[in-house]
Amino acid sequence: MQRAEVIANLLRTTPDLWSGHAVAATRSRSTGFTELNALLPGHGWPLSSLIELIPLMAGIGELSLLLPVLRKIGSEARDIVFVCPPHVPYPPALAHAGLPLNRIIWIDAKNDVDARWSAEQTLREGMAGAVLLWSDTIKDIALRRLQLAAREGESLLFLYRSSLLLNTPSPATVRLALQPQSGALRVDVIKARGGKIASARLHFHQAT
Amino acid sequence: MLWCCIYLPLLPIELREPRDAIALAIVDQHGSRRRLIACNEIAREAGLHNGMDATTALGRLPSLQLIKRSQAQERHALKALAAWSQQFSGMVSIDHERWMIWIEIGASLTYFHGMKALAQKISSGIDALGYSAMTGIAPTPEAAALLARHAHTQPIQQLTAIKFSIAALPLSLLAVSPIIIEALHGVGWKQVGDIMEVPFDQLARRFGPAMTKYLHQLLGELPDPRVLYRVPASYHRHFELSATVDAIEALLFPLRRMLGELQGYLRARDTALQQLKLTLIHENKSSTILEVRTTAPQRDAQSLLVLLRETLERTTLPTVVVALTLTVDQFVSLGDTQLDFFTESKSRDQSWSALLDKLRARLGEQSIKRLGLNDHHLPEKAWCKLCNETKQQEQDDDTLPQRPLWLIEPKLLQTLPRLLGKPERIESGWWTGEDSRRDYYIAETQEGARWWLYRDAHSQQWYLHGLWA
Repeated sequence: MQRAEVIANLLRTTPDLWSGHAVAATRSRSTGFTELNALLPGHGWPLSSLIELIPLMAGIGELSLLLPVLRKIGSEARDIVFVCPPHVPYPPALAHAGLPLNRIIWIDAKNDVDARWSAEQTLREGMAGAVLLWSDTIKDIALRRLQLAAREGESLLFLYRSSLLLNTPSPATVRLALQPQSGALRVDVIKARGGKIASARLHFHQAT
Repeated sequence: MLWCCIYLPLLPIELREPRDAIALAIVDQHGSRRRLIACNEIAREAGLHNGMDATTALGRLPSLQLIKRSQAQERHALKALAAWSQQFSGMVSIDHERWMIWIEIGASLTYFHGMKALAQKISSGIDALGYSAMTGIAPTPEAAALLARHAHTQPIQQLTAIKFSIAALPLSLLAVSPIIIEALHGVGWKQVGDIMEVPFDQLARRFGPAMTKYLHQLLGELPDPRVLYRVPASYHRHFELSATVDAIEALLFPLRRMLGELQGYLRARDTALQQLKLTLIHENKSSTILEVRTTAPQRDAQSLLVLLRETLERTTLPTVVVALTLTVDQFVSLGDTQLDFFTESKSRDQSWSALLDKLRARLGEQSIKRLGLNDHHLPEKAWCKLCNETKQQEQDDDTLPQRPLWLIEPKLLQTLPRLLGKPERIESGWWTGEDSRRDYYIAETQEGARWWLYRDAHSQQWYLHGLWA
């Protein structure tokens, strides 16, 4: 067997082996969770890409998942932009979690088109550390536009979507399904370009 | 003194927007005669020229469209241009009859790196406002005007050089009545130099003292005091559209010019704005008012146009627009933002400001919020939205209790999920009369979501108040 074939074979058959080429090409930021980093392309949240988060329901740690990276961004004095969150991002809780409130911008839009537009504009400006967008658009073109806008900047783009859209196709670089599992958050990687399809359980040590 | 004269030979044509695709001329009534005072390019190519009788012109070009002159419009435009010109000098004068503006540039030469650079800056600035201007530079206003009326003239810098420098120019450019010009031509004089050889008292006898006074002022031998244009304390620019407009795109042409003029005005006053008002006046005299606010002091025409455009695109026009008014009555100092422009953090802040302004223009003032903390016991009052860029309170993380990341409107619960741990008692308001006593619990639903709920001590009812996201 040729050496290239052997490598290709190994890559295909060994779940713990991945091509360094794909990983090196992805710039990323640590998620703050070792188990999760291991599953993602570039060992962290990929920059300038569309990352889809699909929580099964609200109140399962879907925001806590991002707190480590948001804290890091806040400490670098870069902004964190919430676009159309479903509820009030509660300042006392954000402050308690160590996020500087003066780095948080909350954008409200009357409709989904405006919400996506705001996210795109912010991404293109390229100065936000992270953009968190809540949108349930199913238009492929809309998702691709977000993906493109993300590529133009150096931000993290997290798109929160309804669990109803779990099985619809998406151009996102990473798609994660989130669900509660005995007091922890179970993260299932359902798509990861250059990453691995597997799951991780994360504990946030929240009050019990 | 050194005057730069700006002459706008096509002013009435260039007040129209967008550029017409048909032959068009502006006419002025002189007694019973109507004469062309400005022709657009298509009309000029067809052989029409200023001073031509309207009937003759129509005979030559039946498709010609004649527009009545609006002196009010010309005045608005010249005043706005004069305000714009004040960025170059405090001494600016207007001649509404001749479509001319004079700027005294002698005192500004050093500041603007010399005459050539300044003249270039003035010309390109006017060009950007959408006017075709001719300029002339000379030590007296009339000599500058004479040069401006002739294409490609060299600036005159010395008073003593005027006589010699203007000698070869055609007599017809002199600012004297057409009857006198005709008479001078009749004598056989063609060039300015021809009459300079004649003793002035002899000219005075034939053509009246006004003629010689003008010549003396032209040469700087008599003072020529000018009424100086004073920059008004607030900015108000009115613009009549040449055609009724129902599409936003058609408003952008006049707006681009109006904002360019405004930028010059702001520079002249060394100030900036944080809000401006655009009034769209409709056919039926009603109006639509648009207000634009900016996060940081602003005077860049391009950025302001982007903001106005966003706002306009969000606006539905009830009916066609016939005129525009741009008003600014509050000004803010540009502060140190200009000086620090190149430091990284400042330019980042400025880009942010521009982005936020753009978002606000489309989504509305209240859509962009920053978050703050309030010193209050009740969870729903322990935070606030900050819509402006006020300084936020310093936060002290250690004293903050643990709270859920999502706060929701209290929702009455019929069935109770499993409660976890001990309650937290939150009391407030007995001293103000709004007595609240609540016991807060963390709870877990059957599906595994975590809720923040409380039992009201008075009603004994349970409410959902937050989600541990």
